[in-house]
Amino acid sequence: MNGVTIVWSLVAGVSLTLALIHFPVWLRRRGAWNSALLTSTALGTAGLAFSELSMMMARTPEDYGRALQLAHVPVWITMVSMVGFMHVALKPRYRWIGWTVIGLRTVSLALNFSTGASLNLASITELHTFRLLGEYVSVGKGPHNPCAVLGNLSTVLMGVAAIDAGLGAWRAGNRGTALRIGGTILFFALASVTQSILVFGMGVGIPTTIGLFALAVLLAMAYELSCEVMRAFRLSTELSESEERMTMAAEAANLGLWVRDLSRDRIWASPKLRELLGIGPDEVVNYARLARAVHPDDQSTMLETLAMARDGQAPSHYRHEFRSPMPDGRVRWLASQGRVEFDAAGRPVRTRGACTDITAMRLAEAETVRLRQQLAHFGRVSVVGQLGSALAHEINQPLGAILRNAEAAELLLKCPDPDLEEVRAIVDDILSDDRRAGAVIDRMRALLRRHEITMVPLSVLDFVSDVAALVRTDAMARHIKMELDLPPDIPLVMGDRIHLQQVLLNLLTNAMDAIDEARRTVRHVAVTAAREGNGFVQIAVTDSGTGIPEDRLEAIFDSFVTTKPCGMGMGLSIARGLIETHGGRLWAENDSGGGASFRFTLAVVMKEHNP
Amino acid sequence: MNETRPVVHVVDDDASFLSATSRLLRASGYCVKTFAGAAEFLARDEADAEGCVVADLRMPGVDGLQLQNALAGSANPIPILFLTGNADIESSVRAMRGGAEDFLEKRAPKEALLAAIGRALARDGEARAARTKHRALKERFDSLTTRELEVLEQVLLGRLNKQIGGDLDISERTVKLHRAKIMTKLGVRSVPALTLAAQEAGVTSLPNFPKVQ
Repeated sequence: MNGVTIVWSLVAGVSLTLALIHFPVWLRRRGAWNSALLTSTALGTAGLAFSELSMMMARTPEDYGRALQLAHVPVWITMVSMVGFMHVALKPRYRWIGWTVIGLRTVSLALNFSTGASLNLASITELHTFRLLGEYVSVGKGPHNPCAVLGNLSTVLMGVAAIDAGLGAWRAGNRGTALRIGGTILFFALASVTQSILVFGMGVGIPTTIGLFALAVLLAMAYELSCEVMRAFRLSTELSESEERMTMAAEAANLGLWVRDLSRDRIWASPKLRELLGIGPDEVVNYARLARAVHPDDQSTMLETLAMARDGQAPSHYRHEFRSPMPDGRVRWLASQGRVEFDAAGRPVRTRGACTDITAMRLAEAETVRLRQQLAHFGRVSVVGQLGSALAHEINQPLGAILRNAEAAELLLKCPDPDLEEVRAIVDDILSDDRRAGAVIDRMRALLRRHEITMVPLSVLDFVSDVAALVRTDAMARHIKMELDLPPDIPLVMGDRIHLQQVLLNLLTNAMDAIDEARRTVRHVAVTAAREGNGFVQIAVTDSGTGIPEDRLEAIFDSFVTTKPCGMGMGLSIARGLIETHGGRLWAENDSGGGASFRFTLAVVMKEHNP
Repeated sequence: MNETRPVVHVVDDDASFLSATSRLLRASGYCVKTFAGAAEFLARDEADAEGCVVADLRMPGVDGLQLQNALAGSANPIPILFLTGNADIESSVRAMRGGAEDFLEKRAPKEALLAAIGRALARDGEARAARTKHRALKERFDSLTTRELEVLEQVLLGRLNKQIGGDLDISERTVKLHRAKIMTKLGVRSVPALTLAAQEAGVTSLPNFPKVQ
């Protein structure tokens, strides 16, 4: 039974197998340094095993000497690899110890080939042969090479490095690895140096078994790597699990996901996104295909957004909305939110994001706007209705004048010698009265027309005066004095003329009703405007009524809340909605004079910066 | 010349309507004066001129109904007729109850307006004549002496000369002289005519008789 051959061959075989397993891993992932170092350790160990076997099988001192000298090559490979592995796996604090080990070992290797028969023995004088495990094995003897102390020092130092690295990793919480790698390398170092001193320094007649010690380290390394493989496997399982969950969530939320590689014209789109955009599952998605999936009106904006993200001009989180035509001719509204990812140098590398179908929301919004406009229109009709009798008076006035003038002209023309100057004056008056009646009708019709909101710069003075003109007659009939206090330096505001007139009309008619209700002798309503500091203008309608109970100041803006016998309770609620659409506020407070004061704010038009 | 012609006073805050109306009335042969408001009208010169007022019901400051009240209390309560852009029942009732001559829409036909003005002027003429007669009568009554008034009171009560003389402690002959003087001063010939004149002058209520008016 050739036990020695079997054991050492086995060691070499195991080592080579491990090398075969891990070398391809490193080939595929060049960053996997631990696989590379394990491979070289394994090759070194296999080399050691063969060297030791050939030393034992040597039958002449020369053979033994040659084998011993060559054995230092796998020793060098093994130790350098182990130090490297230690550095990668344990990240020691004092890396210089490891570098010193490699340096000393390299010097030793040089001395091995330049001084004596080998680093260990200056020469081999005799060969001691004895039987071990059923085989004859040889151990060389001769004078000790003083350079050997350098090799031993490097090995001891490796033990020190293992202690340092192991302790560091232990403290860092990486206890298993610290014990396995640090422990086996420490064991390897101590066992190897002890054996080397015993065999070569003291001439104890036993064969060296450093290959077996190295195998222990190698197995610990292999175990370590298999742990990592297990961890990677677990991670990949979790990853696919989380991806699964993510996909489910995205499906449930109707989210279409996309990832865009900024270096290439290529976009990955999830099946849901393809469905939303009407892109087939196998079609390649690039900018051109994307542009075709987008409504023509939104194409330029879409391409601009894409370009901005690519050039790093987009904010790291951005959002844009666009339309996508559907085969049936309808339009789908989509909102896409993206995030830009940067490389280490701060250059954008890719964007990823999600796309939602917001068509229903858009339709609901449009419906809300439509309903609000309808309600506003209804409010205008009702408030104009309240002014009906005053308006009839205002129209009858010029119509009456026209009639009288025409009748006068008729009479004048019946004279044999008519005063044509007078007739001409009459015609002029008729024309101007016609314009006057027309203006009243136009003002009223503008208010009654269905109307979509259009925000333009407006003069506060203008729209307040327009409303004052509508209300003046009514106020007069009710013996209410109307005062306008509008400083000339009030800036232009952004607003929709009709809607703002409606709000003011509503507040003024309310104010006049409040005055009537109060039955006080002081009967006046004031419209004032003042500039606020924060880019707003405040307009106030203050009456001489009896005010509003403090606890009702807010409630009066609710729908269907009214104090009037035939009111609907919609006016103030509509008015507040309109002002809020303008980005302003509308509120009520009690005036120090006893009446109520309704105030609203409007944003001032931003001044353009003239050069 | 002018003083004999009645004046139509037009009061309206709407300048255009004011001038149009005055044109029509002038062309129809009336003497017209225009006023931009009730206050101006009430402060007018020649406040005793005969005529009528055509006023807008709705005016700033003093409105039509207030003008009507002020005019009724004045020395020359000429008839007023209202024009309105938009007639509502409440104010028309109030205007008519206040003795307005008429209440027309601003766009009423010319004929209606002229007819109303014609009626108002006629009424002013009658009222003015009645006022003149009344004033003359009153002047006559005012010329009676205290003793004559005492006698008159008894005569109106239908008492005989003898009874009157007894009551007033004067002779029957003196009573007859007073009666003749009264008849002459008041320009009546019979006792029934005297009674009628006294009624017209408003001197019929006996308890405060001598002091009346």
